[in-house]
Amino acid sequence: MKIRLVAATIVAVALAVAASTASGASKATSITVWLQNDAQNGWADTVAQATKDFQKEHPGVNVDVQYQTWTDHLTKFDATIAGGNAPDVIELGNTETTKYMANGVFADLSAQKSSFPNSGTWLKGLKDSCTYQGKLFCVPYYTGARAVIYRKDFYAKAGIKGTPTTLSAFVVDNQKLMKKYGKDANFSAFYFPGKNWYASMAFVYDWGGKIATTRKGKWVGTLDSPQAITALTTLKSIVKSTSRASLTTDESHPYPSVVFAKDKVASFVGNGWEWPYTLDPKVGNPALADVMGAYPMPSHVKGRYMPTFLGGSDLGIPVTSKNKDLAADWIKAFTSTSAMTQIAKAGNIPNTTTLLKVNAADPKLAPFAEAAKFTWFIPVTPNWANVENANVLQNMLVNIFTGKQSVKAATTAASKQITSILNASA
Amino acid sequence: MSAETGLRVAAEPTLLSARRRARLTRGAAPYALLAPATIVVGAVLGYPLYLLVQLSFQKYGLPQLLTHHGEWTGLSNYTRILHDSQFWHVLLRTVTFTAANVSLTMLFGTLIALLLARLGSFMRLLLTTGLVLVWATPVVVSVNVWLWMVDYEFGVLNWTLTKLHAGNFVHHDWFANTLSGFGVITAVVVWGAIPFVAITLYAALSQVPEELHEAARIDGASFVQVFRFVTMPLLKPIFIILVSLSIIWDFQVFNQVWIMRDGRPTNDYYLMSIYSFVESFRVSEYGLGSAIALTMVLVMLVVSFFYVRQMVRAGEAE
Repeated sequence: MKIRLVAATIVAVALAVAASTASGASKATSITVWLQNDAQNGWADTVAQATKDFQKEHPGVNVDVQYQTWTDHLTKFDATIAGGNAPDVIELGNTETTKYMANGVFADLSAQKSSFPNSGTWLKGLKDSCTYQGKLFCVPYYTGARAVIYRKDFYAKAGIKGTPTTLSAFVVDNQKLMKKYGKDANFSAFYFPGKNWYASMAFVYDWGGKIATTRKGKWVGTLDSPQAITALTTLKSIVKSTSRASLTTDESHPYPSVVFAKDKVASFVGNGWEWPYTLDPKVGNPALADVMGAYPMPSHVKGRYMPTFLGGSDLGIPVTSKNKDLAADWIKAFTSTSAMTQIAKAGNIPNTTTLLKVNAADPKLAPFAEAAKFTWFIPVTPNWANVENANVLQNMLVNIFTGKQSVKAATTAASKQITSILNASA
Repeated sequence: MSAETGLRVAAEPTLLSARRRARLTRGAAPYALLAPATIVVGAVLGYPLYLLVQLSFQKYGLPQLLTHHGEWTGLSNYTRILHDSQFWHVLLRTVTFTAANVSLTMLFGTLIALLLARLGSFMRLLLTTGLVLVWATPVVVSVNVWLWMVDYEFGVLNWTLTKLHAGNFVHHDWFANTLSGFGVITAVVVWGAIPFVAITLYAALSQVPEELHEAARIDGASFVQVFRFVTMPLLKPIFIILVSLSIIWDFQVFNQVWIMRDGRPTNDYYLMSIYSFVESFRVSEYGLGSAIALTMVLVMLVVSFFYVRQMVRAGEAE
């Protein structure tokens, strides 16, 4: 990957040099865009179309889209900042933005906010993740809510009517599924990889717990609160009795949809895009199209859903970019109403409230849009990204699920670490 | 040709001083010859090392990355590490891991080298080819292949063990238990390290005169005794080098753990190199990461120093 990056850089530099000598002017002819591989898997056509639209306005400007993975894109980003060849546009997760905004990595876009499509109706949650000290530093891209993706045929054969609306009904239904299919050692009623902290924290927030809170101007990790401990203990017993997913991998190694497509999984917590991804003939099983469904994860409180993580992405322009105007124009093309409609249809929630009707009208998108009515979000502080990157929550979950530590011991240790990381001087 | 005659013409009148100059050049020549290599090593190793040392005394986060200027903080990075209980856990784990890996590598490497010396030429060729192929496989590729073999959902190892009735290995998670996880990692590291040790030792073995072995056997020495009292002492310099190199390599194992744990190892899989990487590149604390890296080098130097001294002393005693 390093070699590819080096090669890409050399090519980019060579192109830039060739271009500047050819035209004799300092006009840029190339911008680099870093998007996550979700776009590559789910809506690469939309990316290509955006580049085409952009090039209509800027003929001859080459757009080099480089797809990154969540595991190491920030490492590479840091390295390119140090090396002076950072991309002109970068996609960042909405949990990652605060650290970079606070450290002055992104160009201030406040003055040109109104020039971005739909900027008056951006989703509040995403807009907040782009705002630091009242200034706008990035452009909302898309968000996704998680819901339970399930097999209608398995549910029907196990004698389950409809879908569960409370957590206790959910547990009972899963027990029915295990009874019917569980003899197959590969079968999971509810496939739950141990490091899936987004879905795990949903339990904590459902019980009224929190990852951290502020007390007297200081952050305090609160995963050792009685509510959080009850939530995680409940989750542990659900995972133990109904999931045969690895307790030491995360929700992208392998993607649960890949296992789901192999007929051994009755349900999993997934993002909207994982539905079409399951049916993709390259990685999944198109034959499941008629037997798939989704419903919001039920809460332990009747009549509510379990809060889902408001995960999403934003597009920023690093201050190091020499082509900030071109970068902004590409973002405009990529977040246009038509592009956003495509991205919504790929299983996501678009960045503007005006397009939410697209999701509501589509039975494959509606359950996720419904789930998005109750959401939770990580503590908003520049140091949060360090909690994620130090794998604090994942360590804790693995220790709980594998039984290496008791829920109490694991949560106490994690809370202590979170307190220390969040209060570290920036 | 004209240059040559020109030289001779120029040299003749000052024969005496030329001789003196020759003596001088003879003294300077080795240094002149060393200079290019020294400059290259200085540039590609010395300068980055200098920067690393400098970085370890600085606060160097994202803002400093943008301005390219660190903030001097004295020894604070080092005191922070030494007061971090995680550091001591990681250090102990790394030393244990290194000891296990070096011992296993040397054991299997030596056994395979001895085997190579006894095989017929065809089998020897086959085995050597196998070793070279292992050696030639890029780490990232081989680790991924191994990873697939021990995969939780679809791995061939779990399937085979279950079919062989070695127990129920369906959905056996090799990484749930840190010890078995490190077992897999050790297997991959040792597997990758054996070829170099085996081939080098085989080369050394072939230099031991056969007469010595023969004489020992005539005196009634057993196979083990021949190895212990004839082969080993002769191979000792090679052993010292191989063990030292192995210590250095195994102390910095990174790829195997990193790839096998999907780039997000939990902290019970932290080795020194991972710890340093996470602190610098994940948490964007480049100063702290550098301090850890330098501490790691120091520990390695101390371990190697004591090992080499011990080996040399043991040699003198015999």
